[in-house]
Amino acid sequence: MPPRECEICHTNRAQILRPKNHARICAPCFIAIFEDEVAETVTSTNLFNPGERVAIGASGGKDSTVLASVLKTLNDRHNWGLDLVLLSIDEGITGYRDHSLEAVKRHSEQYDLPLKIVSYADLYGWSMDQVVAQVGKKGNCTYCGVFRRQALDRGAAMLGVGHVVTGHNADDVAETVLMNLLRGDLPRLSRATSIVTSTPSAALPENGEGEIKFTNVKRSKPLIYAYEKEIVMYAHHKKLDYFSTECIYSPEAFRGSARTLIKNLERIRPESILDVVRSGIDMAKLVPGAEEQNSQRACGGENKAAAAKTDEGDGLGGCGSSKESGGEMAAMEQKLLQDEEAQANGNEVEIKMPKKTVNSQNGVARDTQDAADAEIDVKNGQQQSPAQQTVPIRTKEEKKSRKRGKDAPPPKQKLGQCERCGYLSSQSVCKACVLLEGLNKARPRTGIEVGGGD
Amino acid sequence: MAGRRNLPPADKSLCRRCQSPDTAITVRTEPLCKACFDKYVQTKVVKRMETFRVKNSEPGKEKTLLLPLSFGPCSTALLYTLSRHLKNQIDKSGRPGFKLHVLHIEQPDEPPAQPLLDQLQSRFPEHTYAAVPLASITSLPHLLPSTLQPPSSLASLLSTLPTPTARADLSAHLLRKLIAHHARETHSAAILLGDSTTRLAERALAETAKGRGFAVPWLVSDGPISSAPTPSEAGDGQGEIPTYHPLRDLLSKELVPFVAFAEPPLTPFLRTASESQAAPAAMKNSTIDALTRGYFAGVEEEYPSIVANVVRTTSKLQAREVGAGELGCELCDVPLEGAAPERSRLCWGCVRTMQGVGAAS
Ligand SMILES: [Zn+2]
Ligand SMILES: [Zn+2]
Repeated sequence: MPPRECEICHTNRAQILRPKNHARICAPCFIAIFEDEVAETVTSTNLFNPGERVAIGASGGKDSTVLASVLKTLNDRHNWGLDLVLLSIDEGITGYRDHSLEAVKRHSEQYDLPLKIVSYADLYGWSMDQVVAQVGKKGNCTYCGVFRRQALDRGAAMLGVGHVVTGHNADDVAETVLMNLLRGDLPRLSRATSIVTSTPSAALPENGEGEIKFTNVKRSKPLIYAYEKEIVMYAHHKKLDYFSTECIYSPEAFRGSARTLIKNLERIRPESILDVVRSGIDMAKLVPGAEEQNSQRACGGENKAAAAKTDEGDGLGGCGSSKESGGEMAAMEQKLLQDEEAQANGNEVEIKMPKKTVNSQNGVARDTQDAADAEIDVKNGQQQSPAQQTVPIRTKEEKKSRKRGKDAPPPKQKLGQCERCGYLSSQSVCKACVLLEGLNKARPRTGIEVGGGD
Repeated sequence: MAGRRNLPPADKSLCRRCQSPDTAITVRTEPLCKACFDKYVQTKVVKRMETFRVKNSEPGKEKTLLLPLSFGPCSTALLYTLSRHLKNQIDKSGRPGFKLHVLHIEQPDEPPAQPLLDQLQSRFPEHTYAAVPLASITSLPHLLPSTLQPPSSLASLLSTLPTPTARADLSAHLLRKLIAHHARETHSAAILLGDSTTRLAERALAETAKGRGFAVPWLVSDGPISSAPTPSEAGDGQGEIPTYHPLRDLLSKELVPFVAFAEPPLTPFLRTASESQAAPAAMKNSTIDALTRGYFAGVEEEYPSIVANVVRTTSKLQAREVGAGELGCELCDVPLEGAAPERSRLCWGCVRTMQGVGAAS
């Protein structure tokens, strides 16, 4: 077969089959169109304010590396005037972040962007190594996950940055849409598709001392329409060096299921990924109360965003998003069956269930349960090898139900802020503060409070 | 876990309802004998037919309901249960709550349906029957999108599309249009589709993947929708005919044995899925519909409640209010406002399906 010419420039030889639409194009045209599409996403959604200080959540992995490279390029090319900074989180696990942080340090030099590394020790007073020493290896995932969810926002606030961009791509968003469709979570389905997941409140983004409170940190995903395969391709052709994280976390069952579906859909029809994202955006408008939610958010009621953050993690990978893995679908099946039976019997049965259940009000139940999990984990204090950390432990179910009485949740609060640290929380005290309280109790010499409250 | 199970643990080998030792199937965790299972299915269907109770009908002027029959287990189960339901209505009230008109749409590659329909007629003589070839859609050009004008043969229509997914999608929409057309022709009051929970979940997921997420509420809901889209086939002033899914509370894996258990057997009326419906070896030659079908076939085995929950959840989506005179998509008939690329008479999903039309020529 004679070499084909690029469908765009009609000059170079086509060397790329574009994953998004199977167009045959040359590498320079691919790089140009990839960058143009990100620029289009940014400008059409008015993502940034001129001169805005923006932190790029940088893990050293492909998504955030490409995000940093593209934003730097576009910022210079289009004179957006953004004050870009790389923000990395160091969990403080000896030997774990070393390689990825090295990659981020190189990026900082290559792209001429300042790098800020914020450690768990800075943010919480506890490194993960210290947490493990305290609670044992079992259950430390709970801590890492809870701490991780707030880390980017806390880190950004610490640096005085009001906007964090993450490397979530179209595949991630499509996956989240399908996942929430499968687990019947419409509010999350709807939030997954918004390019900005937490709108800063209409109130002043800064407190008296000119610091940004981390409740006002805005999160966005400029790569929402970029295919994972194209991100890899872009990194390859731009010769970006990134740290390919071995996938150390086994995704939750629903996410794994959704991921497989997305991969197969992409094989059948490459455009499917974008079509799922589009469907998600359209369905979001049909979720009961969608209008209301939006207007609430617009005037500063940002409570819903808390869950959105929780749901999608920070795009930095790691074990935080795993939590309990395999049993998730089985647990939900059981919960649904019980609901059905309860309904058939006509009596309301109060069943406390493992996380990731159906209804929108679940933010509350889930938080409670997570906190309870952690408590139990602490109490058991059993050792478990790291490889086993994500294996679901069936007997936990029974333990939970027995312990429930004792581990009563903090008093319920309408979605709002943690009364200790101000983080968005459906409980009066957020999960991180609950965990920290447990940790600090066991280490009486310290009185470290989470920042923001003092 | 909960305190409601005060009864001594039931013997797992006995029918949960009548304690008969001859259990035939396990329905969601409950072992049931054939008789109790039969009653379970019948009850689920009847519950969804409330709208068509005897007291809602005028004596001698019962509404005609159109039942599209594919000769698959689900639509056959629907025909069977509704036939019994009608008998019960007559036994109890002296008259039926509705009449059934059974319609089979013949696919291009299938043998003639008339012999099977004749057999069905002798088994269920109280209904009327008709067979219409899908190919006849080309003699109804006003049902077809402008991009397919002027229509030639069905085969050539389908061959204009480059992918199996697009062909399956077009084919399904033509089928739906033809059914709706026939419903109007026969002055049917409603269309009763044989979609199980599993099937509805499959379709909701498939349409999401095809970019028609906005259309999912219309797809999975029952009865007249206040914001029903204007059908492309306007003119008879009848508007859209409401659609019901009386099998929506039953799983596909329950309906297959249900049909198999029926006495006298319904098996002579079943046609197994044709070869073309079997999953092809290579994923890229597969279709999105086949993918979601395969996916939920797996899920319903282990997690049937999750399947049901997908349908329940998507039913909660609120279909957008449709403005007066708002145009529908030329192919899938959903309202276009906000769902179509500029100046297109097709929605995003249908643009995707039709992309490549004419590219070959
Ligand atoms: Zn080119
Ligand atoms: Zn359409």
